[in-house]
Amino acid sequence: MWQLVLHRMAATIPVLFLVSAGVFMLIHLTPGDPIDVMMAESVDAGVKETLRRELGLDRPLALQYAHWMGRILQGDFGRSIRNREPVIENVGRRIRPSLQLAALAMVISLVVAFPIGILSAARRNSPLDGAGSLFSLFGICMPNFLLALLLIFFFGVTLRWLPISGYSDPFEEPLAGLRSLALPAVTLGLALAAVIMRTLRSSMLEALAEDYVRTARAKGVSEWRVIGGHVLRNALIPVVTVMGLQLGTLIGGAVITEYVFALPGVGRLVVDAVFARDYPLVQGVVLLIAVGFIASNLIVDLLYGWIDPRIRIR
Amino acid sequence: MPSNRPRTGPRAVSRRAFLRLSAFAAGGLTPLTSPGARRAWGQAAPAPKKGGTLRVGFYVEAATMDPHLSGSKVDRQVYHNIYEPLVTLDNKLGLRPGLAESWQQPDAKTIIFKLRQGVKFHDGTDFNAEAAKFNFNRMKTEPKSVRKGELASVESVDVVDAYTIRLNLRRPDAALLATLTDRAGMMVSPKVIQEKGAELERNARGAGTGPFQFVEWVKDAHLVLRRNEAYWSKSGGPYLDQIRYRPIPDDTVKLQSLQTGEIDVMDYVQPRDVAAVKADRNVVVVDVPSLADFAYQLNHTKPPFNVKALRQAVAYSVDLEQIVKGVWLNVGVPANGPIPPTSWAYDSGIPFIKRDLARAKAKLAEGGKPGGFSFTVTTNNIPLNIQEAEVLQAQLAEAGITMKVKLVDSATLLADGNSKSFEMISYQWSGRPDPDGNTYQFYKTSPGVSLNWSGISNPQIDAILDKSRETPRQADRKKLFSELTRLLQEELPMLFIVHPIEPKAFSPRVQGYDPVPDGMMRFREVWLK
Amino acid sequence: MAGSTRGSGFAESPPAIPAASTAPRPERRWIVLRRAARARLAPVGAAVVLLAALGAVLAPLVAPHDPLKQNLGNALARPDRVHPLGTDNVGRDVLSRVIWGTRISLVAGFASVAMALVVGSLLGLLAGYWGGRADGLVMRLMDAVLSFPPLVLALALGAVLGAGLTGVLIALSVVYTPTFARLMRGQVLSIKARDYVEAARALGASGWRIAGRHVLPNAAAAIVVQAGLSVAFAILAEASLSFLGLGIQPPAASWGSMINAGRGYLQQAPWIVFGPGAALFVTVVGLNFVGDAIRDALDPRARS
Repeated sequence: MWQLVLHRMAATIPVLFLVSAGVFMLIHLTPGDPIDVMMAESVDAGVKETLRRELGLDRPLALQYAHWMGRILQGDFGRSIRNREPVIENVGRRIRPSLQLAALAMVISLVVAFPIGILSAARRNSPLDGAGSLFSLFGICMPNFLLALLLIFFFGVTLRWLPISGYSDPFEEPLAGLRSLALPAVTLGLALAAVIMRTLRSSMLEALAEDYVRTARAKGVSEWRVIGGHVLRNALIPVVTVMGLQLGTLIGGAVITEYVFALPGVGRLVVDAVFARDYPLVQGVVLLIAVGFIASNLIVDLLYGWIDPRIRIR
Repeated sequence: MPSNRPRTGPRAVSRRAFLRLSAFAAGGLTPLTSPGARRAWGQAAPAPKKGGTLRVGFYVEAATMDPHLSGSKVDRQVYHNIYEPLVTLDNKLGLRPGLAESWQQPDAKTIIFKLRQGVKFHDGTDFNAEAAKFNFNRMKTEPKSVRKGELASVESVDVVDAYTIRLNLRRPDAALLATLTDRAGMMVSPKVIQEKGAELERNARGAGTGPFQFVEWVKDAHLVLRRNEAYWSKSGGPYLDQIRYRPIPDDTVKLQSLQTGEIDVMDYVQPRDVAAVKADRNVVVVDVPSLADFAYQLNHTKPPFNVKALRQAVAYSVDLEQIVKGVWLNVGVPANGPIPPTSWAYDSGIPFIKRDLARAKAKLAEGGKPGGFSFTVTTNNIPLNIQEAEVLQAQLAEAGITMKVKLVDSATLLADGNSKSFEMISYQWSGRPDPDGNTYQFYKTSPGVSLNWSGISNPQIDAILDKSRETPRQADRKKLFSELTRLLQEELPMLFIVHPIEPKAFSPRVQGYDPVPDGMMRFREVWLK
Repeated sequence: MAGSTRGSGFAESPPAIPAASTAPRPERRWIVLRRAARARLAPVGAAVVLLAALGAVLAPLVAPHDPLKQNLGNALARPDRVHPLGTDNVGRDVLSRVIWGTRISLVAGFASVAMALVVGSLLGLLAGYWGGRADGLVMRLMDAVLSFPPLVLALALGAVLGAGLTGVLIALSVVYTPTFARLMRGQVLSIKARDYVEAARALGASGWRIAGRHVLPNAAAAIVVQAGLSVAFAILAEASLSFLGLGIQPPAASWGSMINAGRGYLQQAPWIVFGPGAALFVTVVGLNFVGDAIRDALDPRARS
């Protein structure tokens, strides 16, 4: 088992190298220069050159890449060009809102998806099932920026129940924090709920078709006990998989939601960094997001293989 | 205290301000100071009271707290509350004493400042001539100082006595005093600089002399200032306990935050929102005619715009009035050149270029393209620019000119502009109090990378620009700038579009705001009801 | 099962499309079609897609007004007889722009998926069939692309390639390529082990022949299923990118860029947002129905 883990981890190293080379090349190919952006209104070429030299931006690209990779391997992700703070610190500041948003969105999605999913599977082809399918369709097909705009419009501006911008840390100010995360979490959570509901329904239907269920029913066990017993537990496996994978993409991927709701999260951090051509920040954050994504995939794979011995990872 | 001085702005502004004022009077709201208005109903202004936190929403976060190293516009907004320059502006762009009580110019290359006494920095140290000299030296010698170009004309600074300094210039510079009203004239505590060094960029505690002092800056969350109880001026403000700046990058969200009461002040209302916001009783809008100009630079160094007639053809095909009305929704005035109407150098006798399709077609023929031609405009990827580009496209098409649009982000725009890889490119300049700041670096022949993106090199223009710096009398300088404006309309390094008005929006609780056309929000006299 | 969730990274809720670990048995085409027709909602979905396609193709005939004609005096007009969906901020007819926008959205969706399908399938074929070094390299590359935050990838690619539809198409196809590569590789690996392939090889058939005759037709089903589902999400992704300001150069407009432009007018003129928004939603729903029907028909395992 541990050999498997190590083997998998070793396999991710070339992937991470590829990601690092890819992001470095890509961001350096984009037109524009971070110093020009930072000092847009100034024309002092001397100062700009000094800054460039200080940051090593005047050296050949291959050298810059080698230098950067060398420091990464020592754990030094460098400093953001715009605010001169270490990349790690920048990310650390922004990871909290992103994680909290993701967690809250997960909670909302589970609260919504589980009842609907289970009921849909239990009452298959009934109007309830139809309604559930409709809901999941809605969640998957609705562009999330449109949903965000609608939510802002109704709950934020018209009804004025919830704040539409800004962020408060729920750990510091519980009520204000939760309110500030409510609308964005609902935006993400509804879409997530749709996916989870579908997965849950189909996996439950599969589980319900198993022999032991027929046996239990024949023995007269009540429907709910049947469901609550083995069925649900077995049906959960693919659902957990899906959730784990979603979490991996959610952290760096909730950019639009973060933008529209003005949340200081990781997604917005990296997009702003791209616009500002803040090379070290873009490179460092993308690498970290990739690591997070790969790690979450690995954990899910291992969990899956461990839970369900029938399926082993090759 | 709120200023009651009437503004003499362009007609459109005062007319609208008057209408709004009538609406206010009818609606019973208490308006803030507005340009072109007097307190028509004869009420005494309510007395300011101390207290409260002012929450301000800006589109982006400040970059650094060190005014000598600052290169971006939004930093200045915070600086004008915690630092003070030697010279300040009143709301008609006149020069007023700041940290310098008075100044004299015994000859064109010398300025002697008598500094204000009894002023202390927030860290308790005294502001005096030594401190001022330290600041100037730092601005000129610190390797990363962005102020070097602004102080290029200053050769050296001498301490005459404890509260008098002398600036020795290497050439006459009539624009210098106006430059000293912003970052180049801001005084930072030498002790803070020496002890904190680079940390000043993030933490400006104790660094300034202004009505507010720096408390803390939590990146991406807020920047907090609090009242300076030891402020040197005992008449008037500061009244507010605290100011909290919050970055809200999205315009729509920012406006909605103001409307729902989450913030009290907004630095800029988009033209498309102005009408709706003015109708909203929860919000008060103040029109601030700015120093800014919005234009398109034309590349003189390569086809098609190396041909003057073609540039003029484009200029005659554009309907500025339609653009200002349809795109800017009259939140601004058509531009006749780079100098805004708020400036003393503005010449209202020079009209902006009016649309004339017949002349446009004639110019096309003159330029060798009687059937029209096509080119690409590079412009910023924001809604206002996109809309303006679309309208321009339609207007030019009527003259047979095909304009293609290339949308880019700001970094790419800067790169294209600096490397002169464009045909026509959009450009916005936030503006400077002295007309030199709106003209010199754009039109003076400048080899290499510069803000002269068009690449224009015209000896007449060069001569006027240099002469305007050496001429001391304002009336004479005004004549020079009029001549410059005419030449610019002829040579067209830029297609001038509009001088925007920068409406600022407030919650009705906010009182006492005095708008200065440089667009900087100074909160000293502001109080909350 | 290392599931690929790149349904649409931009929509921020990629659906889980489990990579089929076993291939469906070869179905005969008519059975497939009958099953598809039987699916309840398929006809509705097909109708919507057909409508959209017709709208796109016949846009010049169907649109009531010139989508580019500005009329600054009639900007932000409410919907009425003349303008069923009102006018936008420069007075252009929203309905006409929505109809013309169908072209861009459909092209973006289909073209990017098509490119991803071709490139991805080739890569997957290479990796699965030749195995060893090639397999390792290709799969590591695909993993790297998958780990890259998709929006950042698209933004950066857009900035490098220059704005415009081409840049968006390339960016989207890069993002979707790994999905197809993985799928194809999985198919190839399982089919490779089948008896009839061994037999064919024993008989001396060349690699290409085996690939063409045995591998591709069997893998086709799974690929088509994936493609069908991906198109809807590609359209959403394009809308998301346009919403962020990438992509379409004015005065042409895609639904996403229209929503983005109309966002500032949401209170005053919501029709600018809801017109294209509804079109987007309905089209994506329709494509989803069709995609589901294809999957139900071709992949017996996914039938519930």
